[in-house]
This record gives sequence, C-alpha cells and structure tokens, in this order.
Amino acid sequence: MWAHAMIYVLYLIVAIICVYTVRHYGFTLNRLFGFQRHPYIDIDTADWPPVTVLVAAHNEEKVIGNILAALMEANYPKDRMLVVPVNDRSTDGTRQIIDAFAERHPGRIRPFHRTEGKGGKAAALKDAMELVETEVILIFDADYIPGAGLVKQLTAPFFDPEVGGVMGRVVPVNVSTNLLTRLLDLERAGGYQVDQQARMNLRLVPQHGGTVAGVRRSALREIGGWNDNTLTEDTDLTYRLLLCGWKTIYQNRSECYEEVPETWQVRVKQIMRWAKGHNQAMMTYAWPLLAGKHRATLRERLDGALLLGVYIMGPITLLGWILALAVFYRGVAQFNGVLALLAITAYAAIGNLAAFFEIAAAVRLDGNRRRINLLPFLILGFTVSIFSVSRAAFSQVVDLVRGAELRWDKTERFRKAAS
Amino acid sequence: MNPYFAVATLLLVTSMLFLLPLLPALLELRRKSDALPLGLIQHHAGEIRYFADSFRAYVKTLEPTLRECGASGRNASGVMPDGTNYLVLGNGSTALTLPLQLQDGTCPVLIASASDLSLPKDSSFSKDIYSLGRFVGGDNNHYRALLAEQEAYLGGGSSVMRWVHAGGELSADSGCKLAARVSSDSRIRLAPGCSFQRLNAPRIELGLQDGENASHSISSISELPPSKPQRIVHDGDFEIRCGAAFCGDLVVRGKLRIGSGARVYGSVKSQKDIVLESGVSVQGSLISAGKLVIGPACVIHGPVIAEHEMYIQTGTQCGGARTPTTVSALGIQVAEGVVVFGSLWAREHGEVVANA
Repeated sequence: MWAHAMIYVLYLIVAIICVYTVRHYGFTLNRLFGFQRHPYIDIDTADWPPVTVLVAAHNEEKVIGNILAALMEANYPKDRMLVVPVNDRSTDGTRQIIDAFAERHPGRIRPFHRTEGKGGKAAALKDAMELVETEVILIFDADYIPGAGLVKQLTAPFFDPEVGGVMGRVVPVNVSTNLLTRLLDLERAGGYQVDQQARMNLRLVPQHGGTVAGVRRSALREIGGWNDNTLTEDTDLTYRLLLCGWKTIYQNRSECYEEVPETWQVRVKQIMRWAKGHNQAMMTYAWPLLAGKHRATLRERLDGALLLGVYIMGPITLLGWILALAVFYRGVAQFNGVLALLAITAYAAIGNLAAFFEIAAAVRLDGNRRRINLLPFLILGFTVSIFSVSRAAFSQVVDLVRGAELRWDKTERFRKAAS
Repeated sequence: MNPYFAVATLLLVTSMLFLLPLLPALLELRRKSDALPLGLIQHHAGEIRYFADSFRAYVKTLEPTLRECGASGRNASGVMPDGTNYLVLGNGSTALTLPLQLQDGTCPVLIASASDLSLPKDSSFSKDIYSLGRFVGGDNNHYRALLAEQEAYLGGGSSVMRWVHAGGELSADSGCKLAARVSSDSRIRLAPGCSFQRLNAPRIELGLQDGENASHSISSISELPPSKPQRIVHDGDFEIRCGAAFCGDLVVRGKLRIGSGARVYGSVKSQKDIVLESGVSVQGSLISAGKLVIGPACVIHGPVIAEHEMYIQTGTQCGGARTPTTVSALGIQVAEGVVVFGSLWAREHGEVVANA
C-alpha cells in the first residue's frame, strides 16, 4: 500500500514538473518566435509627471554615492524629480554621504534618515511614504546604477491608467568576478530576457522586483500600502496589485546594472530569503488568486499560481528524487516496457533541458556568444538553489511551529566604496 | 591485465567522459573571453537627435574649411581622419552643376556646404550631407543621412535611409520614404503619400499646405472637470455616449467606443480596440492594446498608444504646444490635416494619406 501511495505521489510530482517544463518551453518559444510587446518604450516625449525616486539603503556606504550621482544625471525634468534616499538605520557612513549629496544638489535630494523602527526594506519604504507627494514612485536598491534614460522609461507606463506597477530589467555588472557571478549572470538573463518578457508578451503576470521598478501611489494606497510583514515586499506587491485589478508590466529595455553576490554564502542567504518571502506570498495569495472573485483573467490566475510555486518546487523536486529512489529499490514497476523507456528518454531529452534551453535562448537574444559554454555549470547553481530553497522551506515550517518572527537579511555588497 | 591498471583506466576514461562536455565551460571560465556585463549605454536616453548631434560633432573638424570656403565662395576637397572623402562647397548652389556622381548615379563623398545647399534630382548620396544653411533636395533623391542647420526640403519621391535633422522647418514632398529618424527643432511637414517611421518636432503637420492650420470644431478641454477624478474598470465592451462628459480614468477590458463630441477628463485604456468618433477630446492618455481609430477633429492631450494599428483622421490634434506628447503604434495611417506636437512613431510603417 505504501509503495502504491509513493508511486502516486511521484506521479503527481512528475506531472507538476512537466507543467513547469511546458511553461519554460512556452516562454522560450514565445520569446524566440512570438509577438513582442513593448507598448510604452516609445514614449519619449510627454508632459512628464512629477516623480519620487526612493533609494533603499541600509549600510550602503560602498555604493550609495554611485546611484545618487547616476540619478542626478537622469534625463528627466529636474523640477519634477525628487530623490529620497531611504537611509534605514545605517551604522556606517551612508548618512554622511547622502547628506553631502543633498547639500550639493539642493531641492533635488530629500534624505529620509530612519534611526529606529521595524527592520526590513518594506518597513523603511512604508515610513518614507510620508515624504512622497507624487503619483509616480520609482524604487531602486542602493547598489543599482540607473542610466540617464531609465527614469523616463520607468515612468512612461504610468500614462496607462491600468498600470499599477512597473518592472525593469536587472543586469549584473560584476559578471567576470568568479564562477558564481557568471552563473548568476546567466540565470538573470533567463529570468528577465525570457521569463519576464514572455509573461509580458502573453499578458500573464510579470513580477514586480522591488527595484528598477515603479509603483503608482493611488494603487499602493488602494492595496493598503507596503506590507512590512513579508520578506519579499515585491512579490507581495505583485499579487496585491493583481487582486485589485492593477497590472504590473515589464519593460525589458529598461535595463539597469546591479551587483550580484560574489560568494556562495551570500547567495545562499539571498535565495533563502527570496524563497521564504515567496512561499509566504504563496500561502497568502494562491487560493484567493485561483478561486477568489476579482478581475484577474484565467491565464493570469494560472500563471500567477505557477509563479507563486516556483520556490516550493525545490523541496518538491527533492521529494521526487527520494521517492523515485525508494520506488526503484522497492521494486515497484512504474511503467512497463517500451512506454517506460520512451517516457524516460523523452523527459531526459526535453524535460530536463527546459531551463537550460531558456537560458541559452536568453544569451542568444542578448547577442552574447561564448558565455553560453558555461551552461553545463548551471547544474551546480541549480543544485545549490534546490537545497537552499528546500532548507528555507523547512526552516519556515519550523519557524511557523515555533512562532518565530521572520527576519530580513540584507544582501552583502562587494563593490569598493566610491572615493 | 593488471586489475589496478584496469580500475585506474576505467576511472580515467569515466572521468574524461564526464569532463568532456565541461571542457568548453572550463576553458571559458579560465579565459573569460565573454565575461563583460551586457553592454548598456548609461548615457543613452533614446534621444532622436543623437546621430545628428554626433554627426555635427564629426564635421566640426571641417569648421575652418567651411569658414574659408564660405568666405571665398570656392570649393575644397579632402579626406576626413577616418578616411572618408569630403567635398566642402563655398556656394551650395554649385552642387547643381558639379559632376558629383559616379557612373552608377551615386555620389560617394561627404558633402558639407558653407551656405544654402541645393542638390540635383534623381541622385543617390551614399555619405552623409551637411548644410550650414538651408537645404533643398531635388525629386527622387536617395540620402543616407542629412543635417541642415536651417530649413530642409526633400523633393517628391526622395528617401532617407538613416536619419535627417533640420534646425528649422523640415518639409517632405509627396511620396517621400522616411524609414529613418526624422527630426526638426521647429516643425515637420509631410505631404500626402509620404511614409515614415519616427518623427519628432515641436510641431508635426501632416498634409497641411502653407498657411493652413488644423481646424478644431470642438471646444477646449482645458476647463475644469465636473467632479473629482476616479478610476473605473469595466469588464466587457463600453461606450461613452455622444456629447457625454466622462470624469476620471477609464479602463475597459473589452472594446471601447467614444461617441461624437464626448469629453473625457482623464486617461483611457482598452484591452481591445478603441474607436473615437468625431470631435472627441481626451485630457489624458489614450491607450489601446489592439487597434485605435481616431475620428476627425479629435483632441488628445496625453500619449496616444496602440499596440497594433492606428488610424488618425483629419483635423485631429495630439498634444499641445506646451504639452508635447508621443503617438506610437506598430503601424500608423494619418490623414492629411493632422497635427502632432512631439513624437510620431510608427514602429513598422507609417504613412500620410490624402483625404478622400
């Protein structure tokens, strides 16, 4: 009986994996051959609305100067753009750097120094809203370096009254550092160049990333503001906007450099935080999204649910591996003869390669060439991710049982401080 | 065979087989031959005049020659630092009589004129052209790129491959093919039959004759809206009746029709097609995820975007002199008598059609 139960669970897991495989292929083929939607990128002339740019910073003395300098060079009407560095309880030189910039650019930078209160980006942004008076809000993390045209590009979609959130593309700047940064460069390419843009093309659910991003103030107010009880305020925002009838749109050509983790330890910590936050959003929004009464279309409901499940797929895959071994050693016949052979061969030839195919397509679309050779090493990255997100899911369950609070960890920076 | 040797060989062969597919990866990891970040141009802001400005900087090296030729009325030729041959004309009108073309009818040199420049008809210019004064091109000419510091006129049936910019008014006669960036610091006028892709000027007039102005029979929308704006989302098709005033932003998940003379005090979005009948005014933006048909004599203040085709009928005005805007779609068909303040951008194909 146990053997049969195991095999049915295994079948279910395989079926779920197959759904994600088809999704990967669907997205990749859409990016390669489908109609590409960039409806707002052509808006280069307009009566630009006033904009507030929030720069989230917690102990960012190494990088805060770069982003403030870059924003001061933005090709946006100076009298309509206010930069608010949100200095969240920094204990390093962040405050001094921000204040020096504010002094050099009077009226263009209004610092928000936060010395106490709840930790985490969402809590800091929530408090900083008292300085925001504009309908359009852009958000950057402090380690990003926006180009001159980015503020206009991220603002343009808000001319569409249906748009509540905007997300741009994140491009790693420290690619060449080591194997990890090179793998993250490939993963980011797949995630943005293919995944996000395909969701945009197919009118699904592009994900708000919380940086290189924008949000409409009235939409934010309607959904209840920033949620500081989550580890990933961006995922949370995506779903609350969706449930309230607002669209999040993705602009692949609104690119911005970021710094990716350079050590595995930092990477594991980062992905574990993402996994916990994402799983938290899954628990909160999966059912309301699928079955609730709201304006999301059927395709948005399905894609949104699949997107919510991406991090729980780690432990599910691990469980699948364990079950497959158990079933094998119990000697239970899963399929018979030719069918088994065909199924295994087909999955090995197509299914396993879906994520690789997606990333290879992204690299191709980016016009890169030889970095595609690193594709086999992604197995290493995926393995680390699977175990990390599984660990995150497990510890999340333990925390839930113990009643422990979620803790927000800042991702460590590696850039040398700007002189 | 020695069993240790056999085991060692087996291990070696297995390791080699395992490592073989990783060999290119290991080589790339070591050599870092493609390890630069994706190339983003940090200062790039999508400025339409980028190429014109770059070309102006490029011909700056000719400034002394231009001055000299302008003063003397003589011509000079030479080679630019990058090897491009140039011809500087002291008197631009001499270009009409000079043997500029090769046997295949192509002029292979960069032409820079110190004064107003006139070029003969039925000619092809494979290098960029610069005029310090006005520019007048003959009919059926083919240009690579063109910069005129003052007014520019393109004769009927001409085409521009890359870009054209005029400091003054830029006008193109019937049948011009402008598959390029076309910009002016004052005004662009395209005659019926012209095709275009990307236009930008404080004022773009399509099909208007000299002295003619776009007529607008409807009242201005600058008056205050009747109540506080709000956002309304409607599932399914929607219609704003003729003459009605709609206050707030409107999002329609189906098709949208706005009746004659209706006024919208806000922005409008439809997931499908939008049809505006005559005399409609929209204070904000007008965005269609499908096709967009804008009837005669409409006024739209904000950006006008269609993800597919767009048809704009005569007398319509998009944007304002103080509030320039962008009109963009995959394909745009504009009737003569339309005025756009700002950018008109047909991603695939745009054309000016004569009124029936």
